[in-house]
Amino acid sequence: MNEIPLLHILFVSTALFFIGMYGFFTRRNIITMLMSIELILNSVNINFVAFNKYLYPDKLDGLFFAIFIIAIAAAEAAVAIAIIINLYRSHSSIDVEDADELKF
Amino acid sequence: MLQLVWLIPVLPLIGFLAIGLFQKKFTGKSAGIIASATVFISFVISCGLFFQLSSAQTIDYFDWINVGSLKIPISFLIDPVSIVMLLIITGVGFLIHVYSIGYMGHDEGFARFFSYMNLFIFFMLILVMGSNYVLMFAGWEGVGLCSYLLIGFWFKNNNYNKAANKAFIMNRMGDLGFLLGIILIYVTFGSVRFSEVFSGAAKLPDNQPVIVAITMLLFIGAMGKSAQIPLYTWLPDAMAGPTPVSALIHAATMVTAGIYMVVRSNILYSIAPPTLEFITVIGTATAIFSATIALTQTDIKKVLAYSTVSQLGYMFVALGVGAYSTGLFHVTTHAFFKALLFLAAGSVIHAMSGEQDIRNMGGLKKKLPITHFVFLVGVLAISGIPPFAGFFSKDEILAMAGVQSKPLFILLAVTSVLTAVYMFRLYFMTFFGSFRGTHDQEHHLHESPSVMTMPLIVLAILSALGGFLGLPSVFSEHHLFKNYLSSSLTVPSSVIHSEPSHYFEWAMILVSIITLIILIAITYNRYVKKGYVTPLAEINFSKTFKTLYHKYYVDEIYEALIVKPLYWLSDMFYKVFDLKIIDGTVNSVNKGVNAASSTLRLMQTGNIGFYIFAMVVGVILMLIYNLYGK
Amino acid sequence: MNTLIILSAVGVLALFSEMLNFKKALGAIILLGLVGAFAADVMAWNTNRHYYNEMMVVDNFSVAFTGLLIVITFLWFIMSPDFFREPSSRIDHFALIIFALIGGQLMTSYNNMLMLFLGIEILSIPMFILAGSNKSDLKSNEAALKYFLMAAFATGFLLFGMALIYGATGSFQIQNITQFIKSQQGNIPVMLVAGILMMLVGLAFKVSAAPFHFWTPDVYTGSPTVITAFMSTVVKTAAFAGFFRLFSMCFESSSATWANTIWALSALTIIIGNVTAVYQTSFKRMLAYSSISHAGYMLMAILALNQYAQGSILFYATAYSISSITAFAVLLLVSHLAGNDSIESFNGLAKKNPLLAFATVLAMLSLAGIPPLAGFFAKYYIFTAALQQHYTGLVIIAVMGSLIGVYYYFRIIIALFKSENDDVVIPVNNTFKVFLVVTSVAALLLGIMPQLVAGIL
Repeated sequence: MNEIPLLHILFVSTALFFIGMYGFFTRRNIITMLMSIELILNSVNINFVAFNKYLYPDKLDGLFFAIFIIAIAAAEAAVAIAIIINLYRSHSSIDVEDADELKF
Repeated sequence: MLQLVWLIPVLPLIGFLAIGLFQKKFTGKSAGIIASATVFISFVISCGLFFQLSSAQTIDYFDWINVGSLKIPISFLIDPVSIVMLLIITGVGFLIHVYSIGYMGHDEGFARFFSYMNLFIFFMLILVMGSNYVLMFAGWEGVGLCSYLLIGFWFKNNNYNKAANKAFIMNRMGDLGFLLGIILIYVTFGSVRFSEVFSGAAKLPDNQPVIVAITMLLFIGAMGKSAQIPLYTWLPDAMAGPTPVSALIHAATMVTAGIYMVVRSNILYSIAPPTLEFITVIGTATAIFSATIALTQTDIKKVLAYSTVSQLGYMFVALGVGAYSTGLFHVTTHAFFKALLFLAAGSVIHAMSGEQDIRNMGGLKKKLPITHFVFLVGVLAISGIPPFAGFFSKDEILAMAGVQSKPLFILLAVTSVLTAVYMFRLYFMTFFGSFRGTHDQEHHLHESPSVMTMPLIVLAILSALGGFLGLPSVFSEHHLFKNYLSSSLTVPSSVIHSEPSHYFEWAMILVSIITLIILIAITYNRYVKKGYVTPLAEINFSKTFKTLYHKYYVDEIYEALIVKPLYWLSDMFYKVFDLKIIDGTVNSVNKGVNAASSTLRLMQTGNIGFYIFAMVVGVILMLIYNLYGK
Repeated sequence: MNTLIILSAVGVLALFSEMLNFKKALGAIILLGLVGAFAADVMAWNTNRHYYNEMMVVDNFSVAFTGLLIVITFLWFIMSPDFFREPSSRIDHFALIIFALIGGQLMTSYNNMLMLFLGIEILSIPMFILAGSNKSDLKSNEAALKYFLMAAFATGFLLFGMALIYGATGSFQIQNITQFIKSQQGNIPVMLVAGILMMLVGLAFKVSAAPFHFWTPDVYTGSPTVITAFMSTVVKTAAFAGFFRLFSMCFESSSATWANTIWALSALTIIIGNVTAVYQTSFKRMLAYSSISHAGYMLMAILALNQYAQGSILFYATAYSISSITAFAVLLLVSHLAGNDSIESFNGLAKKNPLLAFATVLAMLSLAGIPPLAGFFAKYYIFTAALQQHYTGLVIIAVMGSLIGVYYYFRIIIALFKSENDDVVIPVNNTFKVFLVVTSVAALLLGIMPQLVAGIL
C-alpha cells in the first residue's frame, strides 16, 4: 500500500488550523467559536500524531501529548459551557458582540 | 569621632520614624523639640569631625547592592568638602528647626511637618556623605521627594499641589540626566565609587569625549536640582511651601546639591574644559536673567526665590572658572544670609497674618525691630557690602572670573549691582514708609516670639562675620576656607593660573563699595523718599514729583536708560521665557501624553472580534518579519 | 517535589472540607499547608534534582520562583477572606486558588514541553472560573468569557508551536531541544523558527504583552477585585517564570531568531501600557494597564539573558507583586465602602485612614520606581542588564515610559491628600493592618537591601 506522504497530512492539519481560525474570526455565536477552537486543537493533534508516526516512530511522545490535549480540551469545554450558560442567563443571548460592556 | 559617623544620618532618620509613625502621640511642641534635638546632636558630631579629622576617610558599613561586578557598599566619605556641607546642613538645619517650632506652632500638621523635615535632613546627609554616585543619587532623589512633600505641605490648596508637581517633574528631567551620567560612569570606569572613578579619571588626558559627556549629563542633573536655565522655574513656584521649608530646602541646602555634586566630581570636570565653559555660560545667564526678574516681583518670597536662582548662577560661574573652593565658600555664606533672609521674611509674614505682597507692607521697622535689624544684616550681606559675608565670597567670584575673561567680569558686576538694587528695594518697601496694609493687619502686628528671633540673631551674626573665613589675599596671607579644602580639590589646567593682582583687588573693592553706596542712595531715594510702590507708581508720574527731584538728573537717566528697559526685559523674560517657552514646553508634553492616551484608549473597543484581529495581525507581522524579512 | 505533594493534598482537603465538616478550620489548614509547602520548597534549595522521568526539574530558579508564588499566595489568603460576595462558595474558590498555584509551580519547574502546557492549563482553567465567580454580575460573566475565548485561542498557537518544534527536533525534552539547536550551528530550520514564534505568541499572551494584551484590561476590570489581585501577581509571575525558563534554557542559542521580535513586543508593551494608563478614571483599570507596562519591563530581562537577567527578573517580579497586591488590598477596602473603584473614591484617604494611605503611597512610589523603594532597584537591575547587552534604544524607551508612569501613579498619591468633606473613618481589622505593615516593610526593606532577593540567583 502506498503511504500517504507526510506533507499531505500536514496540509490537512494546517488547513484545519486556519479553518478554525477563520471560524473564530467570522462567527459571533459563542458555541460556534468554541467549536472553532476545537478545530484548532484537533489540527494540532493531527500534527502531533503525524510527526510521531512518520518521523519518530520509535517513541510515543507525540501520541501522549495528543491524549493530554484531548483531556484538557474536554475540561476547557466544560468550563466554557458553564460560562456560556451563565452568560445566557444574564444577557439572554450567546452573541459574543453583546458582551462589550467592558471597554476603553 | 569616626565611630560615631553613622549616627549623623541615622539620628534624623530615627526622628522621622518616631514622629512620623506616632504623630498623634506627640502633643504640644514635643515633636519639634525632638526633631531639633536629633539634628543638633548630628551637628555636634559634625563639629567633632571638623576638629579631629585631618585627611579624607572612607568608612564602609555593608554591601547594599552586589550583582556580578557591580558592588555598591553603604559607605561614607568624610573629607573637608563633605564636612563643610555637613556643618551647613546640620547647623543651619538646626536653627531652622528651632525657628519652625515657633513658626508652625499653630498648624494642625505640626508633627507631620517635623517628620518630613527630619526625613529631608536624613536624605541630604546621605547625599553629602555617600562615597559613591549611586548612594548620592539615592539621597538626591530622596531630597526631591521631601521637597515635593513639603512644597505641597498645605495640600488642601490645589495650586500648592500643582507647584509641588511642577518641582517634582522638572527635577525628574534633571535626574534623568544624572542617572544616565552615572550609568555612563559605570560603563567607563567599571565602578561608581568616588575613589575608583577619580583615580581612573586622574590618568586621563583633557578633552576625552566620554568625560565631556559624563560631566554634561551630571550637570544636567545639577541644572534641575539647582534651578539653572532652563530648569529653574520650579523654584519660585516652590515658595508655596511653609517659609522654613523655603529657607532650608530652597535656599540653604537642597538647591546647592548641584554645586556640591560638581565640586565632588571636580576631578572629572577639571579634565572637561568644554563642560566648564558651558557651566560658566549657563551660570552667568541664569544669574543675570533671574536678577532682572527679581526687580519687578512684589511677593516678598518670590523676590528672595529669584535672588536664590541668581546666586546659584554665581556659584556655578565660580565652578565654571575652576574656582571650586570659591563656589563652596559662596554656598556657605549664601546658606547663612539667605536662610536669614527667608526666616526674617517668614517673621514678617507671620506678623502680617500671612500677607506676602510688599505693596501692602511698609513701615514695619518700628513694629518689628529685631526682624528689621537682622533683615538689614542679610540685605547688606547679599548685596556685598564689606565686611559682611557676601562681600568676600562674591568678590572672590568676581575676581576669579575677572582673571579669566573681562566680559564675564562685567556681566557679573552688573548682576551684582542689580542684586543690591532689588534687595534694597525689598528692604525699603517692607520696613520704611508708611503702612499700606489693612487696618486689621496693622492692629495685629507683633514681633515674633523669641524661639523665632533667636535663630535669626545667630544667623545674623554668622552672616555678618562668616566672610572672615575667606579673607582675600589683600588682607591676609591665610585664606582659611581655601586652605582647609585644598586637599580634596584640583585646578583645571585649561584655566589661567594667576591670582588676581593686589592692585586689581583693591580697585575692585573700592569701586564696588562706591557703586553700592550710590545705588543704595538712589534706591532709598526712589522707594523711601518718593515712596514708590511698584508697579502702580510707574504710571502715576505726577508733575510735582518731577520738578521736585529735577536736580537728581541721574534719576531720570537711570529711569530712562536702565530701569525702563530693564523692567521691560524683566517683564518679557517673565512672560515670554518663563511662561511661554518653559511652561509651554512642559505643558505641551503633558497635553501630548494626555491626547495620546485618550486616543490609544479607544483601541480597547470591548469587542472580542477586534482583539483577536489585532492578535492575528501581530502574529502575521511577526511571521513575515522573521521568515521573509531577514 | 514535596512542595507539589503538599499543595495537592491541601487542594484536595479543601474540596472535601464541606463534606467532612471542617469548614471553619479550613483557613488555618490552608495557611499551614502553604507554610509547609514553603518549607519543603526551601529545603530543595541547591539540590538540583529531576523528577518524573526528567519531566520536572527542581533547580534554584524554580525553587526561588515557587517560593515567591507561595509567599504571594499566602499574603493573598491573609488579605482576601472578607471580600467574597458569596461566603458559601468561598471554599470552592480557595481550592481553585490552590490548584492554580500548583499550575504556577509546574510552570516554574517544567523540564518538558508537556509539563509547560499542563502547568499553563492547570493555572488557567481555575482562573476562568474565578474570573466569572461573581455570577450575578454582568461584567464578571463578560470577563470570564473574554478570558476564556482569547486564552483558548492563544493556547492554540502555543500548541501549534509545540507541534512544529516537535516535528523539527523530535522531542519535548528541554535538553534535547537545546542540543538540537546547538548542533544546527546557526542554520535553524524554518519549522523550528515558526514553532518558536508561535510559542512566543502563546506566552506573550499569558504575560499580556502588546499586541496580545487586549484581554488584560477587560478581564482585570471585570473580575472580582480579589481575583484580579491574584491574577496580576501570582498568575503573572508564574507566566513570566515559564516564559523566562523556556527562552533562557531552551531557545537561548537561537536568540537571533527571536531577539528583535521580543525587542519590538517589549517597546510596544511599555508604550501602550503606560500611555493608556494615563487616561483611566478607574483605579482598577489603571492598575491593569500598569501591569501591562510592567510586563514590558520584564520582557527586557528575557531579551537581555546575561548573568544578571535571572536575578533581575526574580527581583522585579517580587517587587511588582508586593506593591501590586498592596494596591489591590487597599482598593478592595476602599471600593467595598465607596461602591465603585474610581480614583475619586481615594480622595482624602490620608485623613480617613493614614495607614491605608501610607501603604498606598509606598506601593505607588514603588511601582513608579522611586528610590529607595523596591521598584526602583527592580527597574535599575533590568535596565542595567539590558544596557550590558547594548539595548540602549529600548532602555531609553523604557525610561521615558517610566516617566509617564510617574505621572499616573502620582495622580493616586495626590488624590489621597485631597481634602474631602465627609470625615468617615475607614475601619480596618487587625489582620489587614498586619498585612499592610508587612507588605510596606517588605517594599522598603527590598529597596534598602535588594541583595536579599536579587542576589540569590
